Amino acid sequence: MLHLLAQAEPFRSPTVDFHAFAPEIVLSVSIVVVLLVDLVFDERGKWATSSIAGIGLLAALVPVLTLAVDGADRSLFDGAYVVDNFALVMKALFLLSGYVTILISARYIAEGDYYEGEYYFMLLCSLLGMLVMGSARDLISIFVALELLSIPAYLLAGWRKRDLRGNEASLKYYLLGVFAAAVMLYGMSLIFGVTGSTILTEIGAALDGGEAPAPIVVVGILFIVIGFAFKVSAVPFHTWAPDTYEGAPTPITAYLSVASKAAGFVALLQLVFIGFLGRSDVWGPLFWVLAAITMTVGNLIALRQTNIVRMLAYSSVAQAGFMLAPFAVAGDIDVDRGGPLAAIPPVVTYLLIYAAMNLGAFAVVMVVARKTRSGELSSYGGLFEYAPGLAVLMTVFIFALAGIPPLGGWLAKFVVFRALLDAGTPAAIVLAVIAAVNSVISLFYYASVAREMWMRPVPDGDRAPIRIPASLGSALALAAAFTLLFGVSNVATRFGDLAIFGFLP
Amino acid sequence: MGDPVFNGGLDLGVLGIVAVKALIGFTFVMVGVIFMIWFERKIIADMQSRVGPDRAGKWGLLQTLADGIKLIFKEDLSPDRSDRLVYRLAPYLSVAPAFLTFTIVPIGGVFRGDDDGTLRVLGNDTFLQVADPPVGVLFLLAMSAVAVYGIMLAGWSSGSKYPLLGSVRASASMVSYEAALGLSVVAVVLLSGSLSTHEIVSSQAGSVLDWNIVRTGFVPFVVFLIAATAELNRPPFDLVEAEQEIVGGFHTEYSSIRFGMFFLAEFMNTITMSAIMVTLFLGGPDGPAPIGPPLLWSFFWFTIKLLAFLFLFVWLRAALPRFRYDQLMDLGWKQLIPLSLGWLLLLGAIQIGRDEGWNVVVVVLVGFGIAVVAAGGLLGAIRVADRRRDAFAEPLPNESAELTDAGVR
Amino acid sequence: MVDTIVFVLAALVILSGALGVILARNPVHSALMLIMTLFGVAVVFVAQEAHFLAAVQVIVYAGAIVVLFLFVIMLLGVDQADSIETEPIGGQRPAAGVVALASVGLLVLLAVRAVQVSSGARSTSSALDGEGTNLEKLARVLFTDYLFAFEATSALLVIAVVGAVVLARKPAAEDVQDRKGVGALGRTRSGSGR
Repeated sequence: MLHLLAQAEPFRSPTVDFHAFAPEIVLSVSIVVVLLVDLVFDERGKWATSSIAGIGLLAALVPVLTLAVDGADRSLFDGAYVVDNFALVMKALFLLSGYVTILISARYIAEGDYYEGEYYFMLLCSLLGMLVMGSARDLISIFVALELLSIPAYLLAGWRKRDLRGNEASLKYYLLGVFAAAVMLYGMSLIFGVTGSTILTEIGAALDGGEAPAPIVVVGILFIVIGFAFKVSAVPFHTWAPDTYEGAPTPITAYLSVASKAAGFVALLQLVFIGFLGRSDVWGPLFWVLAAITMTVGNLIALRQTNIVRMLAYSSVAQAGFMLAPFAVAGDIDVDRGGPLAAIPPVVTYLLIYAAMNLGAFAVVMVVARKTRSGELSSYGGLFEYAPGLAVLMTVFIFALAGIPPLGGWLAKFVVFRALLDAGTPAAIVLAVIAAVNSVISLFYYASVAREMWMRPVPDGDRAPIRIPASLGSALALAAAFTLLFGVSNVATRFGDLAIFGFLP
Repeated sequence: MGDPVFNGGLDLGVLGIVAVKALIGFTFVMVGVIFMIWFERKIIADMQSRVGPDRAGKWGLLQTLADGIKLIFKEDLSPDRSDRLVYRLAPYLSVAPAFLTFTIVPIGGVFRGDDDGTLRVLGNDTFLQVADPPVGVLFLLAMSAVAVYGIMLAGWSSGSKYPLLGSVRASASMVSYEAALGLSVVAVVLLSGSLSTHEIVSSQAGSVLDWNIVRTGFVPFVVFLIAATAELNRPPFDLVEAEQEIVGGFHTEYSSIRFGMFFLAEFMNTITMSAIMVTLFLGGPDGPAPIGPPLLWSFFWFTIKLLAFLFLFVWLRAALPRFRYDQLMDLGWKQLIPLSLGWLLLLGAIQIGRDEGWNVVVVVLVGFGIAVVAAGGLLGAIRVADRRRDAFAEPLPNESAELTDAGVR
Repeated sequence: MVDTIVFVLAALVILSGALGVILARNPVHSALMLIMTLFGVAVVFVAQEAHFLAAVQVIVYAGAIVVLFLFVIMLLGVDQADSIETEPIGGQRPAAGVVALASVGLLVLLAVRAVQVSSGARSTSSALDGEGTNLEKLARVLFTDYLFAFEATSALLVIAVVGAVVLARKPAAEDVQDRKGVGALGRTRSGSGR
């Protein structure tokens, strides 16, 4: 036995920078605690799980802050795991939107007929996947992070087990998600085969330059982008979104439309702007088409919706189109205006603002549904008469989504238009025109919600005021505060400019 | 690495050696099966104060042969609602893995001193095993995983109830116990530092104290023995063919030689598993050679150890009553898997401690402490789960709701 | 020479198995064909001297995953092929055919053109260079460079376990209450203690 051990070189365990991993570690610990508490406590004690989950998320924010104060870019495992400004900004976004999701979940899950402890376990696991996604800079980590954030989401989407629409939501999301993952893996294997590396910076170095792109590279990039297009629900890969959003529990709908979508964009940003940076001739046109049809189709279908959750679903599809637009023109941005990388801040800014206003809109939907038990647009008739505060808040969120100054949404749209005009090519101008037309279209259906609330009579004459639970109330306050703050100050753009990659090819 | 017979490239001599080894291996197993069936019937008869087969040949030695010939000449039935193709395929699917597993067992060879178990035949060095893949132990696990198919498909393709129930039982228990089996094998691999069966045997050469049964601390051996019995579907884990409940289990509808093949596979598996246990835990053909050529002694020791296990299996069958299905699952999932996993972690800790120069006693004590705490936690969790299940338990159909409400249960 | 023969045979097994999976009318036959394909892939792995991958392929795919497939097929009793004649949305089949043809064309183009791009530098048909076996190298890479992904995967397994329990568990309390006549609108499990 000894001679066998002697011939092998001794195994040196890799050095791990635990400070860099601290957010993930804190979150993992709270995941375990939630699971154990759920096991030990009986039904009366289950409320503790939501508190623990919330506290765990806030606690995970602390190391994110200390890492930000420290400021150094950290690279672990040969560059497979990176903690840079981009990762920190995105992790803060994920943690905060996760916290708001827990706030709006607490009463909904406790009062309905759901498994409580497992719900928060799944939610935290999904958020853990997102934290990993923020730092993952090689193909394998990105794939593992994607699965880690998606699989709990598939389950959460079907949390209403005995509701057929819940089952449909989960099944559609799952099947299409798995299909997209398979397509993406095939693309990854092609890219790995060509470049011989899974690390994004090395892939970027290997793919950079060269005359015409090899077909294998084109197909690889195409498949990877398509895989994530499912995740961010870009047309024509959006078909799961409306049904899933409608059938899933409403807090999960909010979560999917904000955090899950943001994670998809984070992965796209990392892959495109680190791995495929030199190949904008491949992905530029691809994103142009995706962005143009995504916003157009999303808005046109949203116009016809009578259910507010489905309307918000299609609106979030359309918003994804706006976020895809900077990708489309990144390759055409001059070097003196920042080069292709100048397309990153608009996307990040948009993500931050979109998270605040969309979470707010869903929080209002949940509060109203507590009284009306309905998601129909008509049930919002006369909301101002018996719940003026809520009506005002909903108006704020809706018009923010539409992009009316001085609310957050206008700034988001503004930075996207600026990026498009910075590129200045005919294609970019055409895309800008399409985006402008779409902004106008979107105003119609957003305004229809406002018209219901302010001008229509109460449908069933029930004018009893709506009682807002404390957790939902604080979620509303947070979302509203951020929506207004992002609109009147440059906080969001500052964060967007901050979010730069520490390591490039 | 690997069998040195391939080191010089492929020629006719090498091919011949491989062919002869395969033939010898096959003959060994076939003769072993014939002997084993007789052996089992005789031993059980003795334990039950009966005579057992004694008509065909001396002491009934030829009884198995006679039975085999009878089976061949019986009518080969296949049920109306069976799936013909799969029905015919299933017996072969259970025989093939049984034999293939045996190919990785070293049945002889001198491992002590400077010898490394090679034998010089016709100018070629070779091991005394049919094949020595570098992933030998994984090959074992792969084959035991594939062995499920034969039983599963036999039950399904028969197109009738009891075989289906039997095959579902069989596959469930085989899948359940594979985890425990694998975990106890990992303990062996950890100490031997290789997956190849030849290397594992080499690493045990020396004295009894070098055998893995001692070095791994008995627990993995015991777990492996239990899990192997369950994998073999032998008593007390033979729920697959519990006559009182599901007639004959998965082979109820089979007849003639196809029926015989299932029995062939079962006894082949018993012999193969015993041989694997000899290889993994008892040093294979290793043993003292006081007089004469050591090579012959190696065959002798291997056969003796093999016989000991075969006897053990027969003894278990004669002595133990059958498990109930939930007991089977409880034993597998709640006891064997945690036990072997905990033991594996302990062995790993000792190994790391040796590399890092820690005090072995402290490592063992701390390890045991953690293991006790973890076991306590696990037991607590199981108890909480049981209590909750009782609290939510559905009342039995014949139990009135009033009784349940009053708490009289 | 031997390599070529092995490859051709394995490729035939893989392809005929793959075709069998989609052409077989009976789901159990499809699953069996899938096993055939997986074994063919394992043979290709062995031919590339990737013994570990071959063994894991058989243990995980043939030994665990397809067994579960068969389990589900058997327990649900979907022995016969379902009728797939009805089409909820028209025009799906021609569209699928066009997409399939386009994909095949793309892949053929790739196979033809890729020869000049991929040098094959990293994937040779022999053991990796340097000291130690393939297995050892794989283990080293897994527990150093890819340690993080490896650990994250363990979290994935916990999620899978909890998820499976959640999906499979029947909420026993309501069922009992239903049977006692309280009905679905009676006290719910979590509403009771608050």
